[in-house]
Amino acid sequence: MRVLLRLLAPVLGLALAAAGVLLAIEVVAAWTRLGTDQAGVIVPWPQWQAGLASTSWSEPLVAGIAIGTAVLGLVLMLVGAAARRSDIPVTAPRPEMTVTTSPRMLARLVGQRVRRGDDVAGADVTASKRRILVGAQGWGDLDGSAGKALRTSVEDTVSALLDDVPLARRPRVTVRLAQRRGVR
Amino acid sequence: MTTTEPPTAAGPLDPSLRRRSRSAVARSSGGDRSLAVLVGLVLLAAGVLVALLSYGIFGAARAGRPLLDPMIVDWMRDNALAARLIAIAAGVALAVLGLVWAARSVRPEQRPDLRLEAAGDTEIVVLSGAVGEAVAEQAQALPGVGKARARMVGTTRAPALRVTLWLADDCHVASVLEALEAQVLAPARTALGLTQLPVAVRLELDNPPPPPRVT
Repeated sequence: MRVLLRLLAPVLGLALAAAGVLLAIEVVAAWTRLGTDQAGVIVPWPQWQAGLASTSWSEPLVAGIAIGTAVLGLVLMLVGAAARRSDIPVTAPRPEMTVTTSPRMLARLVGQRVRRGDDVAGADVTASKRRILVGAQGWGDLDGSAGKALRTSVEDTVSALLDDVPLARRPRVTVRLAQRRGVR
Repeated sequence: MTTTEPPTAAGPLDPSLRRRSRSAVARSSGGDRSLAVLVGLVLLAAGVLVALLSYGIFGAARAGRPLLDPMIVDWMRDNALAARLIAIAAGVALAVLGLVWAARSVRPEQRPDLRLEAAGDTEIVVLSGAVGEAVAEQAQALPGVGKARARMVGTTRAPALRVTLWLADDCHVASVLEALEAQVLAPARTALGLTQLPVAVRLELDNPPPPPRVT
């Protein structure tokens, strides 16, 4: 979303500027050629005027364009709202120092530690400021005590890691287990 | 949670320093975002209103009138001067707003040089690249740091430093940060004769060396 906004912002700005320049130029041109039959510099105003004057608001085309405009506006608002940074704050040793990390880095770190466990067949991790979601795969039947042991060991690993990394806010850890079939 | 204690003995902290270090984390996209939301809101409101009008919510008579209403055309004929001036002003305002927005969003981030106070008429300027390179080189030598990059950000009057560290996956983050402060940033401040320099540190994970293909 941030990349999209970075691309979109100059384009939108230039489009606004172009519309403004066009409006000003056309009005000035029409003004200075008073009396003569004006055709407009770039935009054929007289045809537009005739067309607009003969179209009523209730025509389906008008409603369609209006709905399209509303959807475009909504998309633009969503892009603007979603383009915020997802940084994870880390406690800094000095007050005039700000330390941040990315959810990707935290997820990779957690994933590497969890996968080192002997009873873990694989793991996928999603991290954010508030939550770390670990999907751990184990061998065999995970419903009984084996599953409980795997869950505890993964939770302990993540907990030890979070003790090590001074995150400003300790995220909640959720572990989901899945069974990997096949030979160990 | 066992983290390093936030130091309180650093003396009275200027809140502007903290703000500067926080805004040095990344290029701000606040202006772009608020303008995108604003333009989106205007488009959404206009679209919804016109659609409602078109479906006759405001009355069938209203919906039946032409787009270019004769009432408005008559007003513009009667007040030609005012209509033209309003149109020209709106056009110029739109053009200026659009150009300013486009220019702001494509302008690259500043890299301010450090101006140091010296005796007499002398002024010492440390180029931003020199500061960045020196800090990055020293930070890279810290244990646990695989790669480091540093650059100056902010303005000439309120400079700040942005450091990106790529860490080894088994390093102790808190001690790396301590070492960065004690062995890199504090000597840098001393060398430059600065009492304060806001810093933003970004932590990334270094790619581990590829495992041996034959074991």
